[in-house]
Amino acid sequence: MLELADYTFYFLAALVLISGIAVITAQNPIFSALWLALTMIGVAGIFVSLDAWFVAGVQLIVYAGAVMVLFVMVIMLFDLRHEIHAFSRGILSGFLKLASAGIVLGLIVGTVYRSAETVFAPPPVETDKMADVTKALANTLFTKYIFSFEVIGVLLLVIAIGAVTLSRIRGGTHASHD
Amino acid sequence: MPAMTEALLKVSLNHYLVLSAILFTLGMLGVLLRKNVIVILMSIELMLNAVNITFIAFSRYSGNIDGQVMVFFVMTIAAAEAAVGLALAVLIFKRFKEVNIRYFEHLRG
Repeated sequence: MLELADYTFYFLAALVLISGIAVITAQNPIFSALWLALTMIGVAGIFVSLDAWFVAGVQLIVYAGAVMVLFVMVIMLFDLRHEIHAFSRGILSGFLKLASAGIVLGLIVGTVYRSAETVFAPPPVETDKMADVTKALANTLFTKYIFSFEVIGVLLLVIAIGAVTLSRIRGGTHASHD
Repeated sequence: MPAMTEALLKVSLNHYLVLSAILFTLGMLGVLLRKNVIVILMSIELMLNAVNITFIAFSRYSGNIDGQVMVFFVMTIAAAEAAVGLALAVLIFKRFKEVNIRYFEHLRG
């Protein structure tokens, strides 16, 4: 018998896939960005359905919040009125790209249906309370993965400096005026 | 055969993995087919989200919390990658007044 959780999954999956298709087909980049925000919200819902509440919250804050603001701000910097050729041209190469994507999808789905059912046949584990999951996550992150955590911090510093440096480079038309 | 259909429709790990595979393919198609650098970056975000769904689903169905930690790292890398990619897009737009992927080959130094 199908339960509420199943219908929730199908609703969220439809939301994610429809908005995902809209991201790559929208002509205007600002619409792509808004559809991408909807996709992120759908993915956060899927995380909730998998009992990963804290990750879902982080997904909403980091992706649907920070990263989307970054995208929208950069789009607002540009003047993108004339984007006539949104898609790459070439019928043959287009078919090749579609075919390669289809092959990748077929390979993954085929592999999933051949193997995953046998490996993970038992029913899902009993869920803990929301706070317990978050606590276990923090315990793992700050003990087993503490070195990776610190390295990620250094990486973020490097990225921040690199992004500022890149955007301060004067190039092309600007160089001739200085 | 309604019983068999219902067994197929009952949500299991496979459903999450297939959803993730479809989302990943969508992102891949976006990277391959679009020419706008910003849309290509968004498609990369789609692919990373698909990988995150896989991590969380495996973490849930195997009862192992490590997958969620990996998702944190993936999110950090994704945010960093978006920042650098958008900085490059701004650089391209400053030079060519357009954010087409084919102008990337003219960036040097």
